[in-house]
Amino acid sequence: MFDYVPSEISIGGIYFPPLLLAGILGVVLAWLTAMVLNRYRLSRFFAYPPVVFIALAIIYTGLIGTLLIPV
Amino acid sequence: MLSIRTKESIKTALAMTIAYGIALSMEWDKPMWAGFAVAFVSLSTVGQSINKAALRVLGTLVAVVVALALIALFAQDRWLFILSVTAWVGLCTYLMSGPKYQYFWNVCGFVVVIITMGAGADSANAFNVAMLRAQETGLGILVYGLVSVLIWPSNSRSDFEAAVVKLAATQHQLYRVYYDLMNGKGDVANVQALRSSALQAQTRFNQLLASAQTDSYEVWELRRQWRRYQGLVSELAEVLEHWRESFDELQALDLHSQLPNLTAFNAEMDRRFDQIERMLGNQAPEWEPAAMDLDLDKTALAQLSHFHKAALAVTRSRANRLESLTRSLFDSISDIKGFAQVDSAAAELADSKGGFILDPERMLSAFRIVLILWIAWLLLVYVEGIPGGSLLVMMAAPIGMAVTTMPQVPLFKLFVPAVVSVLFAGLVYIFVMPQLSSFFGLGILLFAVTFTICYLFASPQQMLGRVFGLAFFVVIISVDNQQSYNFLTVANTAMVFTLLFSIFAINAYIPYSPLPERVFLRLLARFFSSAEYLISTLGQDPRRPLTPGERRHKRFHAREVGLLPGKLGLWGKMIDQRLFPDTDAKQIQALVTNLQALSYRINGVIEARGLPLSDAMAQELTQDMRQWRLAIDAFLQRCSAQPSAEPVQALEQRLAQRLSQLEARINESFERIGEDRLNNEEVQNFYRLLGGFRGVSEALVGYARLSAAMNLAQWRESRF
Repeated sequence: MFDYVPSEISIGGIYFPPLLLAGILGVVLAWLTAMVLNRYRLSRFFAYPPVVFIALAIIYTGLIGTLLIPV
Repeated sequence: MLSIRTKESIKTALAMTIAYGIALSMEWDKPMWAGFAVAFVSLSTVGQSINKAALRVLGTLVAVVVALALIALFAQDRWLFILSVTAWVGLCTYLMSGPKYQYFWNVCGFVVVIITMGAGADSANAFNVAMLRAQETGLGILVYGLVSVLIWPSNSRSDFEAAVVKLAATQHQLYRVYYDLMNGKGDVANVQALRSSALQAQTRFNQLLASAQTDSYEVWELRRQWRRYQGLVSELAEVLEHWRESFDELQALDLHSQLPNLTAFNAEMDRRFDQIERMLGNQAPEWEPAAMDLDLDKTALAQLSHFHKAALAVTRSRANRLESLTRSLFDSISDIKGFAQVDSAAAELADSKGGFILDPERMLSAFRIVLILWIAWLLLVYVEGIPGGSLLVMMAAPIGMAVTTMPQVPLFKLFVPAVVSVLFAGLVYIFVMPQLSSFFGLGILLFAVTFTICYLFASPQQMLGRVFGLAFFVVIISVDNQQSYNFLTVANTAMVFTLLFSIFAINAYIPYSPLPERVFLRLLARFFSSAEYLISTLGQDPRRPLTPGERRHKRFHAREVGLLPGKLGLWGKMIDQRLFPDTDAKQIQALVTNLQALSYRINGVIEARGLPLSDAMAQELTQDMRQWRLAIDAFLQRCSAQPSAEPVQALEQRLAQRLSQLEARINESFERIGEDRLNNEEVQNFYRLLGGFRGVSEALVGYARLSAAMNLAQWRESRF
């Protein structure tokens, strides 16, 4: 279904591992989600939000690594 | 004409360039350490810089000895070695958040980590690294010291004198406003602003005294007298607040009939403050103050209820304290200005030291830095090829110590300047540095960058930007005689900081949440728990001597009750209003002010409990006072279990009922004992105790009223 070939990302001739980019995007998305959940008071339904944040960052990184940037 | 900001920036930039120039010409490794010393000791006056420099040098020397001793003792066992290093850094972090020599302890802590990690547990290398660190720190400080003394030297004396005048004027103004408030006039809205400006003036005076002592011979010569004045001024600030807290219960009274010499008393106080300001302007005083007492009119007093008499007794005792304090202040200033001589030895203030008391916040900071270092160390040992290697642990110590001792500063606020600084230094390192071929070019670059950073981040509020900017610049460009360029230096440094901030972020949640509203609730519970303990001690016989354990316990809780309102005020300001629209900043401020009042009143009641009472009165009223104390105790217990709303109306009713019952009981008791048979002093002491109990109860009802209007339940909800 997906062309799963991990390749390094070149920025100005410097090669970065794809996991780094996927990880950064994962954390940014988790942070945005946390902001939205805070804004609408939905985070009160979580027992311990800091762990949820880490879980979200991992889930997003996994999804980005699977769907957008092969890692 | 150059501005002060430009001059200071030029001085720091010049010192940085010269320090690098000397270190490179001497072929010393790591000239950046000399650059660090310049970057961190440069402050606005010679005195301030020299004080900080002395602390840095002493801290480095102590750290050198400790680092070498630890390597010598534990080089064979890495676990014992890191255990001892982290224990030392934990101890230094605890001491660093104390009242004295903060920077000394800070340097003592992180330099040990830098030397031990830089040496890699090799004793020969350790000695070289330690010596190098010490000599380069000394070089940086020497160069900055010379530059600041020779080029545009700025002395703290004039600033210090201005700060003394400002503080005296603000305290005088505060006295006037409080006097008006006592008479039911003054503007309450104005008080808050005036109080914070008095606090600022006092902080500035304290800071400048330390630096003026170093860079001005005239201030140094009178340092003992100035320190005495400093103690008196801070006591005056405290007594003024205590005095103000006793006004609420006086509002229904016509004070001028009960206190016949109140106007004369006020005129005397006013005149003393005027004369102090006059002497500070180097003019001889026009008159000498004489001791006076705030008198009570017995006939007018007889018509008052016992609780009104109690309120008057409390205010009067505070006013009399104010009187003796202003007299001492007058004497102290006339001694300093040479208008009169005071026996300084006899006038020394009572030593407030009373042994060691553990501070929970400082313990938490120490625990957190130990945890941070252990996480960084375990990553270094168990994760192969971790970016930066030992740099991770080396950087964890200085930044970690700063982060853990300033828990109220959100990590995000530190992360942004760190990212910007790494990017800026990275650009300079990659694009500019390779074009340079001699020290001439490097010198210009060092000067230009240091000047720009110092100029752009000149104000004290921008200190963080300046520290990060200079530190990252110096670390990333890593100037050496055999200069090499590698993109990995920048990439690894960036990764080290990302890792470090991740460690800090995780660490901040251990063991408590760092969210400001959660911290506020936690501190509030602690405040009430300590208040409850103090109130429970009122049941003990004041004549029975306390065991050392009891004394220590009491001092711990008294300190907690005294300090926690200030800490709550700090955390209250950090609560995000957008997330809690039901509670605004004014409500939080009002709650903190109420807790401060409660703290003063608990203090007052404990003080009054220690005063001698007539046995007959004690026997008559013991049961009633005990019931009242137990009721306060129970309320405080409930608040400490869950600091939230209590039904206010029920509390108000209960208090009113208790007051009227007690009024009747006191009347009965006085009739039975015969008021004439009682000693006047003992009666006044009894009224002070009664006023103290009432004051505490009123403050608690005030707390219940304020907390009921706030949505504290929402603060307990989980959030990211």
